[in-house]
Amino acid sequence: MAGSSAETERKQTGFHQENVRRRARYVLVFLILIAALAAITVLNITIGNVSISGKDILRILFLRSGDQTEVNIIWLIRLPRVTMAFLLGGALALAGFLLQTFFENPIAGPFVLGISSGAKMVVAVVMILMLDHMQTVSSWTLVAAAFAGALLITAFILMISRRVHHMASLLVSGIMVGYICSAVSEFVITFAEDSDIVNLHGWSQGSFSGMSWANVGTAAVIVLAATAAAFCLSKPISAFQMGEKYAQSMGVNIRTFRIALILLSSVLAAAVTAFAGPISFVGIAVPILIKKALGTARPLVVIPGTFLGGAVFCMACDLIARTAFAPTELNISTVTAVFGAPVVILTMISRQKSFRD
Amino acid sequence: MAMTNSEEQISENTYHIILNDLTVGYDGVPLIRDMQIGIRKGEIVSLIGPNGSGKSTVLKSLVRQLPPVAGTICLSGKDLIKMPEAALAKHMAVVLTDRVRAELMTCYDIVATGRYPYTGRFGKLTPEDEEKVEEAIRLVHAEEIGKRNFNAISDGQKQRVLLARAIAQEPEILILDEPTSYLDMRYKLELLTILKRLSRERSMTVIMSLHEIDLAQRISDKILCIREEHTFAYGTPDEIFRGDILRELYGLDSAFIDPCFRDYLPAGPGSG
Repeated sequence: MAGSSAETERKQTGFHQENVRRRARYVLVFLILIAALAAITVLNITIGNVSISGKDILRILFLRSGDQTEVNIIWLIRLPRVTMAFLLGGALALAGFLLQTFFENPIAGPFVLGISSGAKMVVAVVMILMLDHMQTVSSWTLVAAAFAGALLITAFILMISRRVHHMASLLVSGIMVGYICSAVSEFVITFAEDSDIVNLHGWSQGSFSGMSWANVGTAAVIVLAATAAAFCLSKPISAFQMGEKYAQSMGVNIRTFRIALILLSSVLAAAVTAFAGPISFVGIAVPILIKKALGTARPLVVIPGTFLGGAVFCMACDLIARTAFAPTELNISTVTAVFGAPVVILTMISRQKSFRD
Repeated sequence: MAMTNSEEQISENTYHIILNDLTVGYDGVPLIRDMQIGIRKGEIVSLIGPNGSGKSTVLKSLVRQLPPVAGTICLSGKDLIKMPEAALAKHMAVVLTDRVRAELMTCYDIVATGRYPYTGRFGKLTPEDEEKVEEAIRLVHAEEIGKRNFNAISDGQKQRVLLARAIAQEPEILILDEPTSYLDMRYKLELLTILKRLSRERSMTVIMSLHEIDLAQRISDKILCIREEHTFAYGTPDEIFRGDILRELYGLDSAFIDPCFRDYLPAGPGSG
């Protein structure tokens, strides 16, 4: 039988075993990520300026009883904050992965391409204009403003990428655009009313502090929907990784696909900026590390992996940001840059070859 | 010389692919005009011509990377331009000259992308898909490099892996742009043998551009000579290699005869 001889040949080439081995590696990486997620969540809830014993925390979490101040610290400060770091960290890393795919550039990300700064600029303007007339701005309005800003800058970067074909030039353009947007934001913030500045200043530097459950709810809806949509695009993304022309020959509608990718990465980057301000390096470093750990760039595993990795990374960085020099809090970007920037530098060194062309 | 099939009429039943008064070019500017060609199922058609003559332009139009300037391309009686992407992908596979940016992909992974049109929503390979992938790898003799990173192998090996990828797509039509470019002589012949097998055993229609006209003569059922604007010819190797077509195509001086083609070109001046 041809079938049985093909079967023996399959055993000889051993591709099947190789696939099984690789799947085992994916499972292992995900188990480690989930364990890290659990550990960092526990640390984030237990560690803080006010020390609360483990027994009290358990009682507060499950029975909601105990000292009212402590209940509030856990339920209104630490829990929403850690949930937000989870959601936005994942969103940021995923946005990075989508942008890297889109621009076929391993060190693209929402921050270096200026997309975060663009979102921040529009949010700052909208916030100040609206706070002049009303007392509050709804979180949906902020996300919409951030989304508009993200799209604006993405469109601009796309225009540049048509003319600039060198990977590094594109990034330099993005960084310059980011500086321009930051300058505009700082300018607007400088002339804002005193009472707004307190609010804006922390946010414009990037921070997970002061998150309300309402914000968490809005962020969860946006981020989880966009993540699910990105996951559903795993297959065309995998084709696109071979190059646009091959993807087209495999049956991907390139136009629709590109638009979907841009919209999703902009929504994700916008959600992060609207709630936590611009956060650097998570978008670049996490996808790189996750791809290395998984040993593949397959979107079907890299997308959930990147989301989890980004969540763990941001939660850990936030823990450091608020505890390292407590009671003074560091900007989240200060911490993410310390861990993320070296990853980017190492990547550039190891990719020297592909970087040259 | 007008380019038509030797047959009088080109009917949809006899031909797998029909180029109907096809004019191709960039941005609506015609480069090669009014091609009228029928290609039978399982035929091997080679495009030859000087560098920059427009071989790639014709191939790009066939794989829909370029819209035709005028005319139509018919595939089994259907208008190629109007076919949905996903449907076309089951009919046609390509091997391109573009550099493949395969991040962290093994050669096996590259070949597996050929199964794209057949896999489900998330692109998971079934055991049958895995078997097809391995069969394609064996067909191009790439078993040893299958587990290696695609970026770590030689250009010649990459070419074979990309061919395996196209085979795994199980197309009726295989389109290759300069497939022999990076190969040494032995692999060139091996590649052409594989293509011949695909054409004969699986009735795959093969359309490719080739630099080596001696190889084109050896493997092709039909040869399409391309030179800018109107100068071209289409026919069997015998028809093409007879007379002055080649010399005209490459703009060769009649005194210059490459020893390679001594047998095919009339030797000496004034004999054509």
